[in-house]
Amino acid sequence: MLDQRTERLTIQRARQGDREAITALIQAYQRPLEAFLFRLCGKPELAEDLAQEAFVRVIRSLDRFDDQYRFSTWLFTIGKRLLVNAQQKMRPASDSETVEYRADDTRTPLLAVESAERDQRIGTLVQIAIDSLVSPQREIVLLFHQQGWPVQRIATELGMPEGTVKSHLFRARRRMLFAIEQSGVSNPEEVLR
Amino acid sequence: MNLFGGEDRGHGPQRMLVRVLLALRCEARRSPDPAVDRLRAEQLADRIIAELPRSVLPLGIAALLVVAVVCIGPLARDAVTERKALVGPTPVATVVEAGIREQGAALQDGFATIRAIVEPFAGSGSAPADGASAGSRGFAPCSDPPCDAAAPFPRS
Repeated sequence: MLDQRTERLTIQRARQGDREAITALIQAYQRPLEAFLFRLCGKPELAEDLAQEAFVRVIRSLDRFDDQYRFSTWLFTIGKRLLVNAQQKMRPASDSETVEYRADDTRTPLLAVESAERDQRIGTLVQIAIDSLVSPQREIVLLFHQQGWPVQRIATELGMPEGTVKSHLFRARRRMLFAIEQSGVSNPEEVLR
Repeated sequence: MNLFGGEDRGHGPQRMLVRVLLALRCEARRSPDPAVDRLRAEQLADRIIAELPRSVLPLGIAALLVVAVVCIGPLARDAVTERKALVGPTPVATVVEAGIREQGAALQDGFATIRAIVEPFAGSGSAPADGASAGSRGFAPCSDPPCDAAAPFPRS
């Protein structure tokens, strides 16, 4: 992640078509965005495609970016809109396909090739926990726990009071805990072994 | 009560949840091979830089062409119509107008003919003015009343 000052300078250079600056922006946010989109949709290929499309759109529209806001907020907003559009275009059968995919999937998302066996087991458990969440809890959990956004920023982005965000976080963790219990994997050593 | 508001069911699931949340955090931060990330970012940056002019210019040109066709189409159609009107066959309105004029001329001729036929007889009803005209036609006007001049029977 880039700090805010470095981010602004990089964006200014990227506006002028500086390849290194554009590369720096992509490198800083590609993996977080892909991870966020994957946990929202459950499809690594789709998440990767959407993340690339989000970067294409954002970098082409850098002239319209307001420096008062965070680049990542803008990027994630566009990525989420692209995901919503993609999900609306998908045929209904895709849901069952996703379920089948997840049932057979033991990979850690986006790190499938390079992850170790232990990560794969944890990844499965992460997916179980995330799948137990409903909107907007899933998005809030991802922005808070995965992306590390503060509550205030999430509240601003989602247009809800901070108290509501905290409430969603509390309920989401309770749901995830219940899902983990239901999964039958209650001993961390089973996963971490 | 445990950390999550539920009854204490043991620390196992809670530890698992903490582990899950940490793993979730690592997804966005951890990069097992920064070189791979760098390579992917460079590839995408190259694609964006390379595609920008190619994708924007054709779209702009296509949009301009569409606008031009839409705007020029009606003008061109009108121009073609006007040229056809100048060069091509006589419009229907002109034909009708000419027909009316011809009919008008024929009517005028007819009126003149009728006037010429009727004119000699037009003044017979008016006596003071008829003398000269009657004389000019070769017969003398009758001075006596018709009943006196040719009555075969004596008056009673």
